[in-house]
Amino acid sequence: MGRSDDFIQLKGTITEALPNATFRVKLETGHLILAHVSGRMRKNFIRLLPGDKVLVEISKYDPKKGRIIYRFSR
Amino acid sequence: MIIIKSEDEIEKMREAGRITALILQEVARMVKPGVPTSRLNEYAERRTRELGAIPAFKNYPHPSGLIRYPASICVSINEEVVHGIPSRNKVIREGDLVSLDFGVIKDGYYGDSALTVGVEPLDDRRRELLNVTKEALYRGIEAAKPGARLSDISNAVQTYVESHGFGIVRDFTGHGIGSSLHEEPQIPNFGPKGRGPVLRERMTFAIEPMVAMGDWRVMVKSDGWTAVTVDGLPSAHFEHTIVVREGEAEILTKVE
Repeated sequence: MGRSDDFIQLKGTITEALPNATFRVKLETGHLILAHVSGRMRKNFIRLLPGDKVLVEISKYDPKKGRIIYRFSR
Repeated sequence: MIIIKSEDEIEKMREAGRITALILQEVARMVKPGVPTSRLNEYAERRTRELGAIPAFKNYPHPSGLIRYPASICVSINEEVVHGIPSRNKVIREGDLVSLDFGVIKDGYYGDSALTVGVEPLDDRRRELLNVTKEALYRGIEAAKPGARLSDISNAVQTYVESHGFGIVRDFTGHGIGSSLHEEPQIPNFGPKGRGPVLRERMTFAIEPMVAMGDWRVMVKSDGWTAVTVDGLPSAHFEHTIVVREGEAEILTKVE
């Protein structure tokens, strides 16, 4: 099975930085979710601040949590 | 529980089925090289409203609850199996297999039907895939008789498809249909005979085999909807809404 199976990608805006590289993200759809930063973004020191537009990957089985996989240019 | 419909309900479903089939037929005629799939969607949506019905798929909720299906028709080209989202950037080309899946609500009852159009020039293997998928649907419908078991339908479809060396997609199923788009039971397109509930007259089903030219495995793209074959080979999809009847099932989504 492909990697992207069972995950949907949605755009959102960071509203709050929380401990442990966790952020609260407001999705385009209006939903608020908790999102971790992907390992690749941490490795490359992509800094995230409230107000940043990001791409989040969300499992359809737990749509309240996600992974931030991309920060759009500011 | 499988709902057995009254003749009144079936009459309403007949009307919903008639509208579904009519529009689907019209949209199928628009499938030509150079046409963006969004145009098929715009047409289907306009015609649905003209005929006093509601598009059944538009705003259908995703299992995650986060998003809704954004269009009125599903247009799935080649390796896309089902639930392809129409787009201005997706243009039909020669040799494409274009699957159209469409449904409407009329008077509170649903019609649901699908077909695949081959855009000429088609190679032999693709033409065979179309014919086999269509025939598999009719084999399934034939197996839907009062007294038969649900999985007799599944088995009829699978046996026919696999005898031609194609793959039957397992991740999606047919379904009961009536005053909601998806009712019990789920109708898998694979499995042994003689399992599941016994079929009765006036049960209404949407039977929909999805057939892949190669491997049956599929994955869902990151848009949350579009299912594609893992090996990238093309697929076809045919579907009718039917009523189980003594003798032969009645097809509700047939054009006169």
